[in-house]
Amino acid sequence: MRKTKKAMKFAVGLVALSFVAAACGSGESETVSTDAPAVEAPGVSYPTALADCENVTYDYAKPESTSSGMTVTYDIAPEAVWEDGSPITVADFKGTWDAALNTPGSLSTVGYDQITSVEAGSSDKQVVATFKSVYAPYKGLFGGLIKASAVKNTADISGDFADFIPYSGRAYKMKSWSKDQVVFVPNDKYWGTDKAVVKKVVMVPKADQDTEIASIKAGEVDFIYPQYYAGITEAVAQDNITSSVQAGGDYEAFYFNQKCGPFADPIFRAAFSMSIDREALFEQIYIPISATGVLLQCGPIVPGPFCVGDEFAGSFDAGGAETLLTDNGWAKDGDGFWAKAGESAPAIRWIINTGNTRRESTQAYLIPLLQAAGFNVKADNCDAACYFQKRLPALDFDMAMYISTAPPDPAYLTGGFVCDQIPFAGNKNVGQNSQGWCNTEASDLLYAADAETDTAVRAANIKAVLRLMAQDHVLLPLFQFPKSGFWRTDKVGGPVEGELKNYTAFINFHQWTDVDGDGQIVIGAEQWPECLNPITECANSSWMVWTTAFPVSPGVWATTNDGDYVITNLVTGEPVVTVL
Amino acid sequence: MLRFIVRRIAWAFPTLLLVTFLVYVALRLGTNPVNSYLRSNPRASPEKIAEYKELNGLGSNYVFGYFNWLQNFLTFNWPRSIKGSREVFPALKDALANSLRLGVAATVVGVTIGLGIGMFAALHPGGRRDVTVNTAAFIGISIPPYISAVLLQLLFAVYWSRWFGETLFPTSGVYPAGHIGFNPVLMIKHMALPTIVVAIQIIAVYSRYMRSSLLDVLNSDYMRTARSKGISERRILIRHGVRNALIPIVTIAALDVGAIVGGLIITENVFDYPGMGVYFLKAFGDGDFPLMMPWMVLIVASILLFNLIADVTYAWLDPRIRLE
Repeated sequence: MRKTKKAMKFAVGLVALSFVAAACGSGESETVSTDAPAVEAPGVSYPTALADCENVTYDYAKPESTSSGMTVTYDIAPEAVWEDGSPITVADFKGTWDAALNTPGSLSTVGYDQITSVEAGSSDKQVVATFKSVYAPYKGLFGGLIKASAVKNTADISGDFADFIPYSGRAYKMKSWSKDQVVFVPNDKYWGTDKAVVKKVVMVPKADQDTEIASIKAGEVDFIYPQYYAGITEAVAQDNITSSVQAGGDYEAFYFNQKCGPFADPIFRAAFSMSIDREALFEQIYIPISATGVLLQCGPIVPGPFCVGDEFAGSFDAGGAETLLTDNGWAKDGDGFWAKAGESAPAIRWIINTGNTRRESTQAYLIPLLQAAGFNVKADNCDAACYFQKRLPALDFDMAMYISTAPPDPAYLTGGFVCDQIPFAGNKNVGQNSQGWCNTEASDLLYAADAETDTAVRAANIKAVLRLMAQDHVLLPLFQFPKSGFWRTDKVGGPVEGELKNYTAFINFHQWTDVDGDGQIVIGAEQWPECLNPITECANSSWMVWTTAFPVSPGVWATTNDGDYVITNLVTGEPVVTVL
Repeated sequence: MLRFIVRRIAWAFPTLLLVTFLVYVALRLGTNPVNSYLRSNPRASPEKIAEYKELNGLGSNYVFGYFNWLQNFLTFNWPRSIKGSREVFPALKDALANSLRLGVAATVVGVTIGLGIGMFAALHPGGRRDVTVNTAAFIGISIPPYISAVLLQLLFAVYWSRWFGETLFPTSGVYPAGHIGFNPVLMIKHMALPTIVVAIQIIAVYSRYMRSSLLDVLNSDYMRTARSKGISERRILIRHGVRNALIPIVTIAALDVGAIVGGLIITENVFDYPGMGVYFLKAFGDGDFPLMMPWMVLIVASILLFNLIADVTYAWLDPRIRLE
């Protein structure tokens, strides 16, 4: 009896306590709170700025082209069919154009918005795309066709392909996709002579680079394509593992979100950018990767015909940064952080993908230095799928650090840096300008470059844009990043090394051979997508396109290891360009 | 006994309600589910946000919100995860199955070997084998699971493949890459290393339990009486000694199995084994409220259940105990 009384008292007390807790939580519904602690980074402000971001508008009108239009005529190979045997026709080209242009959240409409019509020519196997003006980088279009009959409405495919791509016009087709693996099997209907060699190709996510390396050494995967870091070759070293490290079109940079948040203030952004000593950072982080590497000075482009090489040279000027801030009404507060009069010091959210040791090391090195310089920087990281497929496209960050995988033609700069490719609710979140940078002069130059067939004039336009980027402190280029592949010679053979530095990475895996006879090739993937839609923000992730879209989507042009475009067997010959 | 069981089950429901309510409050206060949702879905429309709040009982009042969530939970109207918008039940079911498989296998192996070793040591206390067993047990308890896991991966996978051409045991996952369907042999092979890692800890702990419990029993008066009656040492040990020594150990084991349902976080993470530990780590890291609440309910329910099993087993083994 005594025990029961005590137990009852205890239970009643606990219930009372819980109701007190409940009462403390009532009154206000949960809203996005600037002060709400993050799971990973307590004290970091969360994006109430997103609500403010929606109200940001840009006073930019794309210049009317003075050039006449053009048509591009594609002759589809008569034998080109989808995985079910249905022919690839003008309907698929039209559907791809419609989807890229009109799907809410389309990653980029650049180029497709120059097309006024896609019609059949002499038959369904001939496609005539009419452009309202001359569009020089037309080879970047129709590089990954969508099967029109696989979707209900080509004008909005945002709800399609969430976790499976059912079609294929290439050597393999997708058999299954899950968060644990993607399985490819030969596409029996593929018309090319380069048929799939191995009966099954499996790609599996590996949680981090240590697991990736352990897996290949243990023979659980046959090939890995890790982000290169100092010491990886030694870590993977084993008699039956071969490696190849090549320089391609990848580059790493810091990016500053200037649509909203602290870097919307150009003075603050400039001062912050000027406070980062890229030379010292390069010595700390990149020299160990490549003793002969050089700091990237061009901008968001690798050295070549479109880069002078000094656009961003001399960006570090700590003294100049301080002067700039103090001359514009900023002063250091009690915590030593720069704050404008009457306001609190802005917190800067720096995002990287968790599990990337090198970037985490960069944060560990640079954040204390920036804080000492008076900038309240906090790490605000999440996994790769969250980073590349959600937060970056939504501009939910202040500072970002990532590698861009760039195609050969610099037309990608248009999609990434013009004013009308900044995604916001008003334009149905279309665009890949994740920095929110709007410089009307730069936008005009980029659109002019796309309409310019004279290579020298085009190059001059691009270089002028890069100088404007440096002037506006849009980003800080860091390093032309090497591409590295490691594979087990006792498990996989053939031209493994052949396409490693290609924009489409290891796209030739259909020609690899199964050396150990287990009937499959297993590829370890460093990142794994959350969604597979090839048009929307899902496609912002390189690993998403490498592991799903590229292997199954046929295209007119393929990129080469040397940064060129070549036509594929989808067409019978070079598309015919006619200037009107 | 039956009355005891019925009363305990009757108490379990309000306890479950109370604890899950406290968990609900703690998660809402600690992880800010709405912010977490917006982090993963920064372009969510106001309608989507309102729907998320409604389905997850994230209204302004915590009590009504909890009962709103509970109603959806009991009617299997479970909201989808905030990342990838995936169904929760299949993921939770698979994670539970994986953890139970691993946990039960490791417990059976570990407890069986641990008890045997404990008996072996207790029969000659202070002797060489006792010292050896004790030392080994201390080493086993002292080595963190993430160390033993990596060492085993290196030995049985990396180095083994170098010496013999292929691995003996895989380093990660439930099945090899590319496998679809159920295959018990492959499954057991993939479970081998994580089971060994967990079993090492269990063996070390239970050998110590058994040794001390058996020593207590062997030195008790009734054992001396049994010997004086001329019963053989072997019969004394098995019929009286071990049985009585097992009483406290069985109850501990029942509680340990209940704890295993929560997942073996470190081991699962190192071996990339998709159990309850990895499930929770990922859900908590994302602040994924729809994933975390069912997980919490399952954990609380399993702890209550295994506590009950422990009590009933204790009473069954020791006839002196009367449960009221």
